[in-house]
Amino acid sequence: MRMRGLSILGLLVLACFPAIAALAQSSGSKTKTVQSTKSEADEGERRFRQNCGRCHNPPDALSPREVKAVLQHMRVRAMLSAEDERLILKYLAP
Amino acid sequence: MNRIVVLLAGLLCSGFGVLAQSSTPDVPIFSGALAFQGTSSAGAHSYTPIIVPVFVAPLGDHWLVESRGELQGFIAREDGTTGPYNGQFFASFDYLQLDYIANSHLTVTVGRFLTPFNIYNERCPLWIANLVDTPIIYTIGTRTSGSSNGGMVRGVAIARPKWNLTYSAYASAATTVENLQAGRTAGGRAAVFVPEAGFEAGVSYQRFLQNGGSNASGFYFAYQPPAIPFDVRAEYAHSPGGQGYWLEGAYRIAPNRDMNTWLSRLQPVARVQQYFKGTPTSIDALPSVNVNQFDVGLNYYFPHNVRLNGSYGRQYSTAGNFNVWNFEIVYRFLFPAWPGGSK
Repeated sequence: MRMRGLSILGLLVLACFPAIAALAQSSGSKTKTVQSTKSEADEGERRFRQNCGRCHNPPDALSPREVKAVLQHMRVRAMLSAEDERLILKYLAP
Repeated sequence: MNRIVVLLAGLLCSGFGVLAQSSTPDVPIFSGALAFQGTSSAGAHSYTPIIVPVFVAPLGDHWLVESRGELQGFIAREDGTTGPYNGQFFASFDYLQLDYIANSHLTVTVGRFLTPFNIYNERCPLWIANLVDTPIIYTIGTRTSGSSNGGMVRGVAIARPKWNLTYSAYASAATTVENLQAGRTAGGRAAVFVPEAGFEAGVSYQRFLQNGGSNASGFYFAYQPPAIPFDVRAEYAHSPGGQGYWLEGAYRIAPNRDMNTWLSRLQPVARVQQYFKGTPTSIDALPSVNVNQFDVGLNYYFPHNVRLNGSYGRQYSTAGNFNVWNFEIVYRFLFPAWPGGSK
């Protein structure tokens, strides 16, 4: 009886491993994503200063869709690259 | 005239056709500026209310329709310095273009676009320009209206981590339709940009393919370091009608661009320019005498995109020396072109 109880407990612990592993992985991935988004926003800010900041300050709060329109406009005007556009979007509309 | 109107209407329709097919929730925007300028030049006062609307409609990730107009009033005394004030009204289309952004190296533009010669014409709309008056050599290389009707390719030819080489090349058809004037021209611009230093230098060339043909050429540089709010720009341009240069410096009184105090919102600005006449023609709109001019001004940047500008200049030429006073208030606006776009 005691053996049976220990076996069930062991199985439960084993069953929990994938869930714990998945949780740890998900938490790590979230941290990684947040860090990656933050570093991309920082890089976007740097590129904004180097390109857009030459002529004007960052605009007042805009929605991501508005920023996208502005950035496509400036991509043609100021010859921003696709990477500049993506990163500056992360900075202006995180 | 009809062909131009049909072409521009066709561009718009094709653009909105692409929009209808696009699954991306793009939002068109209205932007631009409202301004009021007051000028006293050689004792003649004039007042100019201006609205410059800009319309931008992204059509997916690669297509873009963009347009800018200019509605301007001009209120001045009938005989310059005497008589009652009279008002006139002007409207113009600066650009109405369809862009295909193929990649970072290539954007193809068709329609009416700003002529890419040096930097002032494309990069200094009234909400960016540090001084109200356009430089004396502005019309060199931008004949006949500052805009071209035709096609253009542009992009970054070479991109390196430390520098890049940009280019623009275009061809324009002659158009005499009111508000859509353009010269029959071909030309281009190439520039090297060093982002970390904020330094850019470029050369421009235009072949004017009307009135017997003539060349215009120019070079420019801009130094706008990312770390400090310092702004230096200069252009030189040459054409058979004349040649000259301008050099402008502006500094927002702050140790860096992040500072936001009343003092950091102040921006003293100064510009010197010299012009040497060649064989001026009516299409150049250049002075018929040599001219020297200096301007000093002060900008104040209020919150919410409002800027106040005042400047004083003095022009020296064999036609007479005189003072130029300018005052301007500009409001820069931007909002989505339809409801819900700000979400």
